[in-house]
Amino acid sequence: MSAADIALDVTSARRSRAKRLRPVRMLRLARHAAGALWSQKAKAFLMMIGTAVGIMLLTAVVGLSAGVQNRINQITAFFGPRSIMVFAGGGHLHGAGGRAEAGTTLKLQDAQAIQNQYGYEAVVAPGIFSGDTNVKAGGVGTQTHLVCSTPDYAEAFDWYVQEGAPIDSDDERSMARVAVLGTTVATNVFGAEDPIGKHIFINNVPFVVKGLLTSKGTSAMGFDQDDRIWIPLSTGMNRVLHQDYIRFIRMKVRPDYKVASVVDQITQLIRQRHRIVPPEQDDFRIITPDFIAQRVQSMARTTELVGGALALVALLVGGVVLMNILLLSLSERVPEIGLKRALGARQRDILVEFLSESVLVSLFGMILGVLLGLLPVLLIPRLFPMMPMAVSWKTFAYAALFSTGVGLLFGVQPARRAAKLNPVEALR
Amino acid sequence: MIELSKIGKTYLTGGVETPVLHAIDFTVEEGEFVALMGPSGTGKSTLMNILGLLDRPTGGTYRLAGQDLTTLDDNGLSAIRNKRIGFVFQLFHLLPRVSVLQNVLLPFLYTEPYPPDAKERARALLQSVGLGERMNFKPNALSGGQQQRVAIARALVNEPSIILADEPTGNLDSVASGEILEIFDRIHREGRTIVMVTHEPDVAAHAQRVITLKDGAVASDERRN
Repeated sequence: MSAADIALDVTSARRSRAKRLRPVRMLRLARHAAGALWSQKAKAFLMMIGTAVGIMLLTAVVGLSAGVQNRINQITAFFGPRSIMVFAGGGHLHGAGGRAEAGTTLKLQDAQAIQNQYGYEAVVAPGIFSGDTNVKAGGVGTQTHLVCSTPDYAEAFDWYVQEGAPIDSDDERSMARVAVLGTTVATNVFGAEDPIGKHIFINNVPFVVKGLLTSKGTSAMGFDQDDRIWIPLSTGMNRVLHQDYIRFIRMKVRPDYKVASVVDQITQLIRQRHRIVPPEQDDFRIITPDFIAQRVQSMARTTELVGGALALVALLVGGVVLMNILLLSLSERVPEIGLKRALGARQRDILVEFLSESVLVSLFGMILGVLLGLLPVLLIPRLFPMMPMAVSWKTFAYAALFSTGVGLLFGVQPARRAAKLNPVEALR
Repeated sequence: MIELSKIGKTYLTGGVETPVLHAIDFTVEEGEFVALMGPSGTGKSTLMNILGLLDRPTGGTYRLAGQDLTTLDDNGLSAIRNKRIGFVFQLFHLLPRVSVLQNVLLPFLYTEPYPPDAKERARALLQSVGLGERMNFKPNALSGGQQQRVAIARALVNEPSIILADEPTGNLDSVASGEILEIFDRIHREGRTIVMVTHEPDVAAHAQRVITLKDGAVASDERRN
């Protein structure tokens, strides 16, 4: 080795280039740090428990909120993302169908007023649902859901006939005794036979089957949507149910209009028609996908908040434990740090080594925590199908973010202390 | 190779200045084997720490191959320590959790660029100190003399300009000491520059030059042969 070599080393050491930490070097140091952890597995395990518990809770909470979001998406899709339901009767929501005593306050004229004023903004289909209605044909009887609604029912619910014809405006005007069957009723009553043109008795009133609805299957709530019969609203009110009120007005907002502003307009209109002045209670209620989403979300919110707070506390406690174990073990590693400084480690190298240890510990804690946290996320929906839980990319993103954060945040003080050690004193 | 001029070191403790080294002046030529002697508390260790760039003098200049090192910052000093200085300590200072081979490779953690033949170099050095069969042992499985040989291999692995040895036989029995000194003789013959602190005259006898410190100053500087 010549003097020129040394001169070169000294000048390069003088240049700022030498101060940078290259990724290769960081990787080398991180690998070395992994070795240090491996040699002290028990201690490393203690260091990662807190992070693991925190990440486990976080994974479960994120799983819950992802599940809730999925459920909301399902319900919205089922309900129709641009749909509005006006139900008779005020007070609270008792489920999409309303309760039997829901009220008699909603009239066909309300629907007609909405149609006249806002028909350009939304498809309007007034109607009545009536559960457990007796139907009979050729000696075979069953019970089904009766839907009395106008021809707009098809468009408002995106539900069309696969065979025959839907209820049309002539049927509505003439109170025709015609029915469109859901596939379940058709099979229950007519078996494999083609029901079109056949006679069917609804509450002992004879009808002719004119169409067959497409099959929608079982809803997210476990309810067979194909178990229904659709007849004209006028026929239902006057010939079957003998009532002068309706139970719902279904609306589908047209693409160029906002659901929220349509809701505002019809709320004003119905209040006006029913002479309701707030703070008087409404005698109707309006359900939108947003409203349902808020209801579902508010049910999960407490669990999310408590779980999230617990996860945060666990991460903090885990971080403090991690920091203290690192600080304690620092004293036994002082000679090692002195040696490394003598061998050419810069302060920053020592910092990186120690930070790598704390971040690696947190990342192992994260892996353990995610695995443990995914157990309930995967198992609970199997055991309790109503509990929404889902795995989402957010689980992994949050876990990585928070565990790295804990490692850096709580590792930085021990690492700085190690880096700042005076090499002469450390070697003594 | 090494030029010290008017190197001084004063510690400030509790507002009181304690001078440890006074205007140390000497040069060490390339290939010299120098023993540094003197009673305890005369500043040998302080001088070694300054020579090893672990400590800064409070006065004077330190030149290595004509380059002033006193102006380098901590990163610069670390880089020079890594490439140009090999340390051998009295207490070996091996890392117990990694193998003998990994101990020898330790300096390369901090070397840029990482030499592609690092492992071959480390293996060859371990062979040359007679530990070719023990490369995958943990240091604890070795005797004191063997551990010190690992430390010497580690000091040499980055082909430093100077070897600084601080009582390298101070913790060894006479047989092991003899083996260690033989290795020092050999690397000296190979042209290495060595500065060794020792208390024992028979150890110092291996050096060509003995510098004696007394009360923080050079009391004598004798060359032999």
